[in-house]
Amino acid sequence: MSSDSAQQSPLSDFSSTPSSVDEDLQVYLKPEGEKIRLSLPRSTQRSGSTDWSEVWQQLKHRLNGSDRSWQPGTTVHLSAKDRLLDGRQLQAIADALEEVQLQLGRIDTSRRQTAVAAATAGYSVEQHSPIAPLSTSTSEAAPQWSQPLYLQTNVRSGVDVRHSGTVIILGDLNPGGTVIAAGDILIWGRLRGIAHAGAQGNRGCRIMALRMEPTQLRIADAVAKAPETPPAQVDPEVAYIAPQGIRLTKGIDFFKTHSFSAEEGGWTDL
Amino acid sequence: MSRIIVITSGKGGVGKTTVTANLGAAIANLGRSVALVDADFGLRNLDLLLGLENRVVFTAVDAIAGECRLQQALVKDKRQGGLALLPAAQNRNKEAVTAQQMKELSLELSEKYDYVIVDSPAGIEVGFQNAITAAQEAIIVTTPEVAAVRDADRVVGLLEANGIKRIHLIVNRMKAEMVQLNEMMSVEDILEILAVSLIGIIPDDQRVVVSSNRGEPLILADKVSLPGMAFNNIARRLEGDKVRFLDLMASQDNLINRFRRWFR
Repeated sequence: MSSDSAQQSPLSDFSSTPSSVDEDLQVYLKPEGEKIRLSLPRSTQRSGSTDWSEVWQQLKHRLNGSDRSWQPGTTVHLSAKDRLLDGRQLQAIADALEEVQLQLGRIDTSRRQTAVAAATAGYSVEQHSPIAPLSTSTSEAAPQWSQPLYLQTNVRSGVDVRHSGTVIILGDLNPGGTVIAAGDILIWGRLRGIAHAGAQGNRGCRIMALRMEPTQLRIADAVAKAPETPPAQVDPEVAYIAPQGIRLTKGIDFFKTHSFSAEEGGWTDL
Repeated sequence: MSRIIVITSGKGGVGKTTVTANLGAAIANLGRSVALVDADFGLRNLDLLLGLENRVVFTAVDAIAGECRLQQALVKDKRQGGLALLPAAQNRNKEAVTAQQMKELSLELSEKYDYVIVDSPAGIEVGFQNAITAAQEAIIVTTPEVAAVRDADRVVGLLEANGIKRIHLIVNRMKAEMVQLNEMMSVEDILEILAVSLIGIIPDDQRVVVSSNRGEPLILADKVSLPGMAFNNIARRLEGDKVRFLDLMASQDNLINRFRRWFR
């Protein structure tokens, strides 16, 4: 089909384990009824200060990017998991939330020190035993996608956005930045970094961008790099898995001209 | 209301210290008082570029430790009344000061000076974190190279995460003739990635190297050079003046290059 652009991307299997979109690895903001749940990643073995500065950067990035997706004054429940937070860090989180008109209400934690610090600062606290959050977060059913993550921001070099659902970004994905999603990835801007859609193995996922200039595209277990000579193509494009590997085509007719076939393991022309 | 501005880049060797020295001199030349803070503990250079090395008695670490008053540690430039330097300690490393101490130091300076300009070390580790802690604004220095722009992008992200929203960009060592031939990233290419406001373009010029080695800021030269004018314009833009960008392409706009462009 002629609308398949000439970007024949070399395909290789990368048989490594599927990239993790585990929610325990990133800062999450999730609406839960009237409230918003702010969930922090589990603490790692690394030294406390670098770990905190990374969490802090992610938090600010999410808050700045998710502006206007909530009502001003909404209460936030912080789930700090097994993370150690002192009074100063809790205050920093509360201040950051206040900047975007959110209010820190309750804090859930499995660490005694965090619970004490939170109670001292005057927040209501719920302390779980360390095992409890594991059993609640794992569901026996097939992995379910989270609600789409909608960010109005540029994903800059060094920033890593992971989500167990579809990711929508209003802004650019810069070189050195990465977006990994269990669902589709839609970049309303320039895609110049690394995008990995269908990271849990769904070959039907697609990557869409207004301007496709990626460092690398990955869909499910396939990888493609951008052609050496950038094409003159400036139309919005869709990247998808065809039986031969990852292909790019103009975005405008994709859904009229392609359909997903599970037997072929990819999208085929109609 | 005084301004605390950090000058940073991520990548080393792109000209942070050169920009700090020359920009500081240019702002002082406009009649403002300026304190330059060398935050590159253990690798201090700013005193050299300003030609003040032999007048350094106390350093920032001495002032923080209470071994001298802050005013004693400040080296005042005799050529320009408004310019003063707070030198870093050369015999210590980056862990010698804490973020809180740097913050207090910058705030104390901001009571007496119109501008406090902090020269950050390269990298994004503790030295950088200390340097940005008190800043309300940042100037990112980059050169038209892929690696420098990539690192600058990372640093912009970190600055935004630290609540520094006013970020200006200086593109250093621009070679107009190479951009003309499509061999170098243009300012537009850089802005497309970084998406911050451009405040100046410094042309690549041997006179910058000469002035650095002599310890004489460009603005003090008898006949102000093109890079000197570029720094002067940046100082005026910081003050809020609308100044047109220098046309670095002007010297390239000859007949041969025009023909070349037609046939490309």
